Amino acid sequence: MLLEVLQGTEAGGFILIQDSVNYCGRHLLKSCINTALKREEVVHVLGFEVSQEELNDGLDRTSAQRLHFHNAYSDPLGWTGNSPFTVHQFTLEDIGTLLKQTPQAKAVTLVIDSLSWILRHHDPAAICQKLQALKKGGVVRAVIGLLHSDLHQRGTVGSICHLATSVITVAPGTRGLGAVAKITRRTKSGKLMQDEEIFSINEDLTVTIQSKRSHPGSTPMNTDESEVDPTANLTFNLRLSDTQREAKEKLPLPFVFSKEKKSALLHPGTGSGRILYEPDANDDYDQEDPDDDLDV
Amino acid sequence: MAAPNMSVGKPTADRLPCNTTSFQKKSRSKLVSIPGTRPSIQNGQLIVSTGVTSLDYVIGGGLAVGTLLLIEEDRYDSYSRMLLKYFLAEGVVCGHELYVASALDHPNDILQELPAPILDDIASPKTVEDQAKSCDPESQDAMKIAWRYQHLPKVQTALASSSRFGHYYDVSKTMDPEICQAARCHGFYLPEHSTAVTSPTATGQSPMPETYSSLLNNLQEVVHREGFDGSVPQTKSRNILRIGLHSLGSALWGDDLCCRENPSHGHALTTFLYGLRAMLRSSLSVAVVTVPSHLIQNRALMGNVTRLCDTAIALESFRGSERETNPLYKDYHGLLDVRQLPYLNCLVCDLPDNKDLAFKLKRKQFTIERLHLPPDLSETVSRVSRGELTGTAMVGSSGCGSGSTGNRHLDF
Repeated sequence: MLLEVLQGTEAGGFILIQDSVNYCGRHLLKSCINTALKREEVVHVLGFEVSQEELNDGLDRTSAQRLHFHNAYSDPLGWTGNSPFTVHQFTLEDIGTLLKQTPQAKAVTLVIDSLSWILRHHDPAAICQKLQALKKGGVVRAVIGLLHSDLHQRGTVGSICHLATSVITVAPGTRGLGAVAKITRRTKSGKLMQDEEIFSINEDLTVTIQSKRSHPGSTPMNTDESEVDPTANLTFNLRLSDTQREAKEKLPLPFVFSKEKKSALLHPGTGSGRILYEPDANDDYDQEDPDDDLDV
Repeated sequence: MAAPNMSVGKPTADRLPCNTTSFQKKSRSKLVSIPGTRPSIQNGQLIVSTGVTSLDYVIGGGLAVGTLLLIEEDRYDSYSRMLLKYFLAEGVVCGHELYVASALDHPNDILQELPAPILDDIASPKTVEDQAKSCDPESQDAMKIAWRYQHLPKVQTALASSSRFGHYYDVSKTMDPEICQAARCHGFYLPEHSTAVTSPTATGQSPMPETYSSLLNNLQEVVHREGFDGSVPQTKSRNILRIGLHSLGSALWGDDLCCRENPSHGHALTTFLYGLRAMLRSSLSVAVVTVPSHLIQNRALMGNVTRLCDTAIALESFRGSERETNPLYKDYHGLLDVRQLPYLNCLVCDLPDNKDLAFKLKRKQFTIERLHLPPDLSETVSRVSRGELTGTAMVGSSGCGSGSTGNRHLDF
């Protein structure tokens, strides 16, 4: 499912790549950018963490004119006074003016490298609102963000993941294989899909899926050592042969009734237990209740 | 609980279809009964249905008018959103007015996704009583030894009350736009109502979120204008206002309750709930609020929020957690926990006898059932899952009973 998410063509999507200090998610991010460039899309990158040369390294050269890098790396907080892009410019209006630099209003993908930088200088609730506005506004078609999950509180990471339509959490793989990616994807209809895959990134920034990991958590309960079977090596026979089993099953049990008697007992017919009494001449059959004249 | 000058009289006009008694209480007041409501059998409060009959049973018959139901969302907000939609759909079918507030989706989008009601009430999906009656002996596998118990009804795990209150909905279809248009709806979409965007200062401190106060003002204005609080003299018949507030406390409402362990304005949501409840008590309205409690890190704050609401339930979905593969939970979609039930004009409330409840969203019904463990029929101590009892092979089976084959019938 990782490849489908990276192809990720639905509008209004927000793909979040979550990494940690153990494994850097920037290679996956660059692979995302590459796929977007190959799809003839215009990509705007807000680069806070790495420089332009380092990010462009390995990307597709032929479509370099569709890639616009906004340099927030050299002076993110605007200390020199003439910075190309500062972290305070992460608002809907400023991003709109940035995107208007490219005249052809085709599908624009906005890549944010990384969200952690912005979250450190802005209120997380405000960032969530701005991301939601970007998603819904129609200015960009898709937003891809990188988040370092160990830099923030759990609630902040949770809130941003709640907004995302797809979340890819990368972690180093065990046993020397590639890295492990846990993918959670929510479709517009509300359906949720989850997967876990082992992947590796090649030289030309394409992703190869090595294997799907079996679902973790289901440990086999078979014990390693074989249990001692107490029914073996006995002097008497505990098992039944087939003919013996048939004979046993044919044996009628003591209180088993036939089917007719069972159904007769289950559905009692009418008139099975009535009392018919005809008083003769000597009987004083008085309808009144003798206790009626008690003055109680 | 409702407006103080309104007395509750038993509705004599509309009778519930399967009412077992013909007793009719003499009603002294000439009160026009509000459609879609009935007096509670426990404490006489006027109650409305939440749209899910199982949920009505769990919270004591229904939602009392003038109270607040808190739903703690599941992780991906799928089932809590479904419950909100059921609540609003029930309002449309009963003819109540709706008020929807959301910061994520536009209220019109939510109203277009409401499930379609199954209007043929007679042929409603099989209730538990029907299932008990309709077992004929030929279709069941007849018991050999215990055949006298064959016709006894099975253990009822689904919770349902005897009288019908509320409707059933088909989740796979959306409600007809005509039915939806017939209901009056008021919406509050936060991005349309937000005032000047407050620019955060350099230190990252945010000012007091104005979002909750604007929502409360808007709600108060609607209630006053439409006369739910008794201000407008009632020339038309009385009606109930159903208020649905989606995902309060999330970051999209401008509140950092979910983002920080020590939120800078932790009292904003609690102040809002206090004001909301005061407004509900003095008007003919009922509110359902969903809160993403799995994101709120401060448990004390969550406790405060629960205290400020009348009824509180929490949903926990199995999707995406390790419980999904647990064979015990394989029939269900999640767990439901009743956190709090209100004491409305009485000393005790009707707590459900069983606290282990699980829910399942089927196409035509949202059922809430008692979660019970299957009987332990294994020959060793380890618990045998239900799958093994039916003879299917499962991955986690223990190597017990080497003599028997896949079937685990008890041999006498």
